[in-house]
Amino acid sequence: MKKTLSIIFGVSVLFFATGCEKKEEAKITYKLTTEQVYDQMCVKCHGKNGEGNPKKKAPALNDQTIQELRLGITDIKMGGSGVNSSGTQHEVMEHNMKKIIEKGMDYDTDLMAQYIHDHFNKN
Amino acid sequence: MDKKLFKENLEQIDSYLKQEGISRRDAMKMLGLGGTAMMMGSGAVTEAKASSGAKGKILIVGGGLSGVATAALLMRTLENPDITILEPNPKSSSYQPGQTLVGGGVWTNADTEYMTADFMPDGVKWIKEKAIEFDPDKNSVKTDKGQTIKYDYMIVAAGLKLDFARLEGLGISETITSRGDNSAVKKVIGQNGLCSIYFADGATDTWTQMQKFVSDAKSGKKVKGIFTDPDTPIKCGGAPKKIMYLTDARLREAGARANAELTLYPNGGKLFGVPEYNDAMVKQFATRDMKYNFKHNLIGVDPAKKIATFKKHWLEKGAWDPDLEEYEMVPAFEKVEIPYDFMHITPPQIAPEEIAKSPIGSDKGWVPVTQETLQHTKYPNIFALGDVAALPMGKTGGSARKQYKVLVENLVAVMEGKKDLPAKYDGYTVCPLITSIGTVMLAEFNWTGKPAPSFPLDPTQERWIWWLLKVYALKPMTQYGMLSGRA
Repeated sequence: MKKTLSIIFGVSVLFFATGCEKKEEAKITYKLTTEQVYDQMCVKCHGKNGEGNPKKKAPALNDQTIQELRLGITDIKMGGSGVNSSGTQHEVMEHNMKKIIEKGMDYDTDLMAQYIHDHFNKN
Repeated sequence: MDKKLFKENLEQIDSYLKQEGISRRDAMKMLGLGGTAMMMGSGAVTEAKASSGAKGKILIVGGGLSGVATAALLMRTLENPDITILEPNPKSSSYQPGQTLVGGGVWTNADTEYMTADFMPDGVKWIKEKAIEFDPDKNSVKTDKGQTIKYDYMIVAAGLKLDFARLEGLGISETITSRGDNSAVKKVIGQNGLCSIYFADGATDTWTQMQKFVSDAKSGKKVKGIFTDPDTPIKCGGAPKKIMYLTDARLREAGARANAELTLYPNGGKLFGVPEYNDAMVKQFATRDMKYNFKHNLIGVDPAKKIATFKKHWLEKGAWDPDLEEYEMVPAFEKVEIPYDFMHITPPQIAPEEIAKSPIGSDKGWVPVTQETLQHTKYPNIFALGDVAALPMGKTGGSARKQYKVLVENLVAVMEGKKDLPAKYDGYTVCPLITSIGTVMLAEFNWTGKPAPSFPLDPTQERWIWWLLKVYALKPMTQYGMLSGRA
């Protein structure tokens, strides 16, 4: 029995020690640059300066911090906050995002947040 | 060790342990008592790197698992530590991950409850008051007893509140914490088939209610059990489903499963955000005849009549949108009433009100930090971690276990006047998803949205060895490894 317990404990120590080993992620390549996706698609509702358009229910992006943009876009692309079944605050945009990806306009969420912030942020 | 060999060995251990079985008392005794010694000798611990001579008064708001672990690591990293923790609750650092096991009758509350004083690192100044006002421009905090506390650096580790008050019909007007005073909620939740493992007494009462439910089913009555998952971020995203798996297991144990219908009503549209784990769970649900009805958000309960009211939501095809070149989608809702015999509520969860509305909060409440560095987006001398931080995904102890080390490294860099923050959090979190009495799927992942297993085993398999990890090893590891800032 002692041996058994030692084994479990050994495994759990390993678990605490290793956690997540960094693995090299295969780099995803996108057809279009972030700028091209914004100019061909996002601009239609969120506007030339990220000012938004209430008629299209598109919120302004130019007053959000980069971290807010990252959280928002990640939530939309992943369909919620990942671990749970709580869903997303952006149900309509989540649907639209799927369509946009189907049209070959997938993008890196962090790069998009950076692009919007660098070009449009008014604060 | 060769990876393949390691994998084979683990597979063998898994099946060996399954045959062998293990007595709970033996495991608790040895793992609990031997914990510190084994950790110290194992080399698995993070010994603090070269000490830093950086100086400054550090205030930690919140003495839960995150706050205490961070304080402990800072104590061992700084040569001249000046650390104050604000925490009014003497049991704040209790083992919340155990509440699922209490709800399922595997543990009792005594297994999860401990005194923060036993784990508070020597040398930390502990003020048993609550921070209620924040003035980050003046580096100052006010407490509920009227004290003003100045700091040079602040770490927000204040956890979250359970907002049962948002649900109509329960007669609850206060928000509570999982380990604090829960009298406002306990009088309704934990009675008459209604329960929640999200607060300590609630977990104990869940087991009582679950046993009644099982015995009703056993007596031949056809019964309905329902399980909810709200539209807010929650701590331990797996728990709403773990308690369902445990209910299923207890019904089977009693030979009464056929008389009970079990249905999950989550606000979202899938069982798990990571596709690999989602697919595994869809199969697990099917095998167990556990049902789900997506896009249902619990908004009210009639506890006397035992009826739950959900807001069911979906998208309807609207007009053609020439910009998107697709049909526009229009949100639609209706109220749906579902009768139950047994209901487990996962309450809506919010950042503590005094933080949400303060300058260090945000419009959604959570403290905004840069997700890799855990530094506040507006105030460079403030950091946040744990449940209160605005981070994608995991509000779990497993996330905090990665976060506190990143935070300490970055805070020390700021204190030393360095411009670049050296450490980065990758979003790692872990959900030991209990799928029955004796099996767990160890779902580890990060912001890539892909599984990030610590072991070279198929992470989508339910295993006995992970059950043992969850039930016997994680608590002592957390107590002696994490609360001391070592692992």
